[in-house]
Amino acid sequence: MIGGVWTLAMVAVLGLVAVGIYGLLIQRNLIKIVVALQIFAKGTILVMVAAGGISGKPAIGQSLAVTVIVADTVVTVMALALAIQVRRWCGTLDTREISRLRR
Amino acid sequence: MLPGMTALHASWLLPLTVFLPWVGAVAVLAAGRDGRLRTALAIVFAAADAVASILLIPLASDRIGFALTLGGAFGELSLLPDAFGVFLAAVAAVIGGLAVVFSVDYMRGEEGQGRYYALILFFIGAMVGLVLSANLLMVVVFWEITALCSWALISFHNDDPKAVAGGIKALIITGLGGVGLLAGSLVIYAQDGSFDIPTFLSRAHTFPPQVLAWVGFGFLAAAAAKSAQFPFQTWLPDAMEAPTPISALIHAATMVNAGVYLLARFSPVFSPVPGWSISVIAVGVVSAFLAATMAAVANDLKRVLAWSTVSQLGFMVYAIGTGALFQSQFHLLSHSVFKALLFLGAGAVIHSVGTRDMRKMGGLSRKMPLTCAVFIIGALALAGIPPVNGFWSKEMILESGLRQGPLWAYIVMLVTVGLTALYSLRCVWMVFFARAEESHGHEAGPAMKTALIPLAAASLLTWLLAGPFQRLMVQTLPVHFPRAGEAASTTWQIAAEVLATPWTWLAVGVVAAGAALWGARSLFAGIGRRLRPVRRVAEAGYGFEAVNRGVSRAVEASGEGLRATQSGLLNWNVAAIVMAVIAVLVAVWLVAGREG
Repeated sequence: MIGGVWTLAMVAVLGLVAVGIYGLLIQRNLIKIVVALQIFAKGTILVMVAAGGISGKPAIGQSLAVTVIVADTVVTVMALALAIQVRRWCGTLDTREISRLRR
Repeated sequence: MLPGMTALHASWLLPLTVFLPWVGAVAVLAAGRDGRLRTALAIVFAAADAVASILLIPLASDRIGFALTLGGAFGELSLLPDAFGVFLAAVAAVIGGLAVVFSVDYMRGEEGQGRYYALILFFIGAMVGLVLSANLLMVVVFWEITALCSWALISFHNDDPKAVAGGIKALIITGLGGVGLLAGSLVIYAQDGSFDIPTFLSRAHTFPPQVLAWVGFGFLAAAAAKSAQFPFQTWLPDAMEAPTPISALIHAATMVNAGVYLLARFSPVFSPVPGWSISVIAVGVVSAFLAATMAAVANDLKRVLAWSTVSQLGFMVYAIGTGALFQSQFHLLSHSVFKALLFLGAGAVIHSVGTRDMRKMGGLSRKMPLTCAVFIIGALALAGIPPVNGFWSKEMILESGLRQGPLWAYIVMLVTVGLTALYSLRCVWMVFFARAEESHGHEAGPAMKTALIPLAAASLLTWLLAGPFQRLMVQTLPVHFPRAGEAASTTWQIAAEVLATPWTWLAVGVVAAGAALWGARSLFAGIGRRLRPVRRVAEAGYGFEAVNRGVSRAVEASGEGLRATQSGLLNWNVAAIVMAVIAVLVAVWLVAGREG
């Protein structure tokens, strides 16, 4: 019974992961990309917790989740800081525009 | 000495020999801008390491002498003081130390000496670690460190594009060979779950033949690249852009010996593999012969010596192919000594004349009598003229080659011996005796003499070590010398055997003929003119340079072509990642479906 609940939770959080990937695939605005990355990462964290629950070893899943939270926070802060710099130097947040400026 | 005492000494002397030069390298860098302190530190550490490596020789045994656990996954950092290890460590440390001493005069007033001495010490330490390691993974690590050190030192004059290109070439070619070593080591680990070399040597007969063949040919490629053997020989002459003591270091003490060591270390395991021994013989014979012809037409003094190194290493590889391990290692010793002598002598000449072109030298015998004398001793050893050390070791290689190898290989090697005599004499003549319009020079400095005189003495005397050296190998290498009793003989027995064999005198006759060919070159001027196309091809390195250029151009072109895939657009990259994940999932599902 408990396993079934975890499986249901897994399906739900995989939906969250899918939303994140979809955002990464179609978004061109740097800020929105960071948001999509956040959704993706939060989904991944929940997948780990759910996987730990399904396999009956919740401690491992949760400790991995905490590790990812730490790394994810650093990545997000760096990404936002870079986005500010890009906006300041290039005048745009569109990734295609930025690539064009390279040439 | 008690057995317990010996083990105790080996357990601290082994890591000391490996890591003392590295400590010295750090100390030299830490000394900062004080030139005298830096030089003194370099000499002290190099000399201490030479002493440590010599003290290690009486402690040789077939047991692991030092082991440090590396977290369990990759085995231990274990050092094995058997005859191969202690002998090559002593060669690296002693000849490397003499190169350091020589550098004091050679590098006087140059920029970047801290970097120079630190890298030399680092290089010596890596080579000592490479030959003493009993863990294949550590061998790979030290192997790559020597490649990096050689790159940095060949490109030491990093404002000279030719030096930079030469260094990169050495790094790429030896790095390519290193892939063979790494792959072979990983295959061994996958098969047996251990990187331990003694374990592999004793358990190799349990390996499937095709696995052993992959490992054997991987190691052969690695060794050929490292020792500049056919078809990887092109990097060594281009490495001549290095300062001359570095050339001596690479040719005599450190870099190129590693390939011969690798082949000798693993030859008892791979010689049953079909085609391995004959491939080794072919690599050695082709390298020896081609390089000798190229040495005979080169006009750059250092290039002549570089090709002669390739040629002499070919002799050693040939000996390993015929199963003559002791002979190959003994020739390695002779070669290390006389080639270090020749290079350092050439360094003294180049330092005083200011050019490497032999056509602009000549008549230096009066201005540099000592350098001339020691260079002639080195050339006699290279040519194989009795009683210098090169004669004994080369005769032993030829004899065992005739007994155990194919006849065609012996005949080509005999011709190569004649060619060696020809180009040695040509080199000495052009540098010291030929008349040139203007040749100004001065005798070598005191530090140069300190390095040259012991090497000259050693060239005359190291053949006396044949007996003890053979006994050491037989005692500590049970896998390589299974029939212990009959192989060990004294120096005098070995010498008498060499002198009593008629084939020795055939080879000496060929040497004399080669020398006479140079003496009577005016008689053959007509033939020489007809051979001019051959000469031009030999000067161009038989087209291997063109192959190198073609490969590098193809790599560049494919890089240009593949650039289109690197759009830098995040959406595309994410799409590729998602597709790759899907592909992996499908593959896993298919495999699981088939097994389930």
